[in-house]
Amino acid sequence: MKILVVEDETKTGTYLKQGLVEAGFVVDLVANGFDGLHLASSESYDLAILDVMLPGIDGWQILQGIRRAGNEMPVLFLTARDQVEDRVKGLELGADDYLVKPFAFSELLARVRTLLRRGTKAKDAELLRAADLELDLLRRRVTRGSKRIDLTAKEFGLLELLLRRQGEVLPRSLIASQVWDMNFDSDTNVVEVAVRRLRAKIDDDFEPKLIRTVRGMGYVLEVPEGA
Amino acid sequence: MIRRASITLRLTALFATVSTVVLLVLGYLIGSTVEQHFVEQDVEVLEGKLDLTRHALAKVRSEAELVHIPQQLDDSLIGHQGLAVVVVAPGGELLFATSGAEFPAALLTRPVGEEVSRPYVWRTARNTPMRGISARVRTGIDEAAPVVVGVATDISHHEQYMAGFRVTLWSFVAFAALLTGVLGWLAARRGLAPLKAMKQKAESITAQRLHARLAVETVPVELADLAITLNAMLARLEESFRRLSDFSSDLAHEFRTPVSNLMTQTQVTLSRPRSIEEYSEILASNIEEYERLSRMIADMLFLAKADEGQIVPTQARLNLEVLIAELVEFHRLVADEKDVVLTHEGEGVIRGDPLMIRRAISNLLSNAIRHTPPGGRVTVSIRRTEAGYVAIDIVNTGEVIPAGHLPRLFDRFYRADPSRTGEGSHSGLGLAIVKSIVEAHGGSVSVTSRNGMTRFCLQLEGAV
Repeated sequence: MKILVVEDETKTGTYLKQGLVEAGFVVDLVANGFDGLHLASSESYDLAILDVMLPGIDGWQILQGIRRAGNEMPVLFLTARDQVEDRVKGLELGADDYLVKPFAFSELLARVRTLLRRGTKAKDAELLRAADLELDLLRRRVTRGSKRIDLTAKEFGLLELLLRRQGEVLPRSLIASQVWDMNFDSDTNVVEVAVRRLRAKIDDDFEPKLIRTVRGMGYVLEVPEGA
Repeated sequence: MIRRASITLRLTALFATVSTVVLLVLGYLIGSTVEQHFVEQDVEVLEGKLDLTRHALAKVRSEAELVHIPQQLDDSLIGHQGLAVVVVAPGGELLFATSGAEFPAALLTRPVGEEVSRPYVWRTARNTPMRGISARVRTGIDEAAPVVVGVATDISHHEQYMAGFRVTLWSFVAFAALLTGVLGWLAARRGLAPLKAMKQKAESITAQRLHARLAVETVPVELADLAITLNAMLARLEESFRRLSDFSSDLAHEFRTPVSNLMTQTQVTLSRPRSIEEYSEILASNIEEYERLSRMIADMLFLAKADEGQIVPTQARLNLEVLIAELVEFHRLVADEKDVVLTHEGEGVIRGDPLMIRRAISNLLSNAIRHTPPGGRVTVSIRRTEAGYVAIDIVNTGEVIPAGHLPRLFDRFYRADPSRTGEGSHSGLGLAIVKSIVEAHGGSVSVTSRNGMTRFCLQLEGAV
C-alpha cells in the first residue's frame, strides 16, 4: 500500500512517515503543494494525507487537482483549525476524512486503515477467529477452545471490533465511537474498564493472551508470535 | 465629525432666547405706554384751547361780530408757544389763523358733528412735528352753519424725549439680554456640575479599578437612575473581567503543571543512559500527559467557540429516554467498578444537537460517578416542568458541596476541592462545557447540594 503525505511541518512530516512506514506502508513525503500535486498526478497512490495549510498550493487545491484528473483515491485531511466551514468545504471538495491537530497517531493509523479497507469491500465473514478464539456472528456465540463464553451485547461488539481489526492498535476514542456510538471526547475510563472485563472473560483462564494494552496508544488483539 | 452641542451651551442659548423675547415685549409695552401718556397730555391741553375758542365763538351773535374774533382769540391764546389755531368758515373761508399755522386739509374736513376728532400728527413745511385735533363749533349767530376749529401743538420736544428714551430703553433691553445669557451660562454650568463630577469619576475607572462605583446618594434625583444603571454595568464588567483574568491565570497554571512534569521527566531520563524498557516507560508516561494537554486544548477551543456564539446546535428530535439509557449503559461499567448504583427513570422529548446533548449529560454523569463514594448511587430522572421545559436531574449521594462553591462550579478550571487539581484525565472544563452546550440550546443548568445529595438539573425546552 502506497501513501502520499504532503506536510510542510518538517517534524510532523518525518514522524508521520516513520510511523506509517513502520506500520507497513510505502510512503512518499513532500513539503509543498506543487510537489504534492505533481506526485499525486504522476504516481499512483492508494491514499493521500494532505495538510490544509501548505506553501504554494494548499491542500484544497491539491484535492481539486486530484479529483479533476478523475483520481478517486481516498484523501485524508490534517488541519490545525477546527472550523465547521473547513469541514464542510473539505467534504464538498471530496475529502474522505478529516483529523484536527493535535491527533493521536493511533487514531490516524486506524482511520487510514478504515479508508483503505473501504475500497476493497471485504466479504462479511460469518466467523471471526484468533488462535482458538471463535466469534460466530450469526449465532452470536463466542467460544475459546471448547469453552463457551457468555458476553454482554457491548462486550460482543467490542470483541467483534478487535477481531475484525486484528493486529491494529485501536485508540480508546475509536472504540468508544464504534461500540457505544460516543462520538465525543469523554474523560471517563469506560473503555479501559470494558476491555479489562472482556479480557477477564476471554484471556484470564487461557493461553496465549490475545488482548494487549499498548500504553499511550490503545488496545490490540493479536496472536503473539510463536504462539 | 459633527460637533455635538453641549448641554450647557444649549441651556444658555434657550435661556437667553426666552429672556430676550420677554425683554423685547416688555420694552415695547413701556415705550408705547410712555408715548400714549404724552398723547393724552397733548390732547388735554388741546381740548382746553378748543373749549376757549368754542366759548369765544359762542359769544358771537352776528356776522359783524365775527370780525372781532381774531382779536379775542389772540388775547386768550397768548403765551402759548407752539400752539396753532385755525377757524374756518363753513364756506371754506379762513376766519382766523395763528401765525404760521399749517393744518392738513384732512384734519379740517374730517369733523362731521360736534365731536372732537381723534388726534392727528403731521409735519409742517419747516419740519416741525405737530399734533392736532379739530371740531365743528356753533357760533352764537342763529341759523348759521358751524365753523371748523383746528387746534394743534408743536410736539418736537416730546419726540426728542421719546427718541432719547427709546435709545436708553433698548440699550437696557440689550444689556439685560446679554446679562441673562451670561448668568444663564453660569447657572447651567452650576446646574450641570453633578454631571461633570460623574464624568470625572467615570474617567478614573480603568481595568485595574473596576471596583469603583458612582455615588448614587450624592447625585441629583434625575441622575440617580443613570448612576444606578452605570453601576450595574460596572458590576457586570467587573465580574466578567474577574472571570476572564481568573481564567487566564488558571489556564497558565493548568498548562504549567503537565509541561513541567514532561520537562523534568524527560531531562532526568536523558541525564544518563537507560534500558530500552525504561525509555519506553517514560515515553508512554509522556503520552498520557500529552493526551491530557491535547484534550484540554480541544475543550478550550470548544469553549472559545461557544463564547463567540459559533456553536450552533442542530435541531433534531431527541428521545431522552433512549439517549439517557445509552449513556447510562456506557457509564455503568465505571459505576459498577466503583460499586456505585446507576439508575435512570422518566421520559421526555426535546429538540437539540444529539452529539452536544450527549456530551453534556455524559460529562454530568462522569462527574457524578467520580464524586460518589463506593456504595453510593447516582440517579438520572427526566421530568416535565410547567413552562413546557424538560428537566433532567442527575443526583448523586456523597459529601455535600459547601454552598460557597456552588455558584462557581461551572467556571472553567474551578474545583470545589483545590487539592484535587490535576487528578487523572479530568480537565476541569467538563462542567463549563455542559453550561456552554445547555446555554447554546437556550436552556439552563443549576446545582444544589444538601442532605448528602448533590443535584445537577438541566432544563431544556421540551418538544412534542
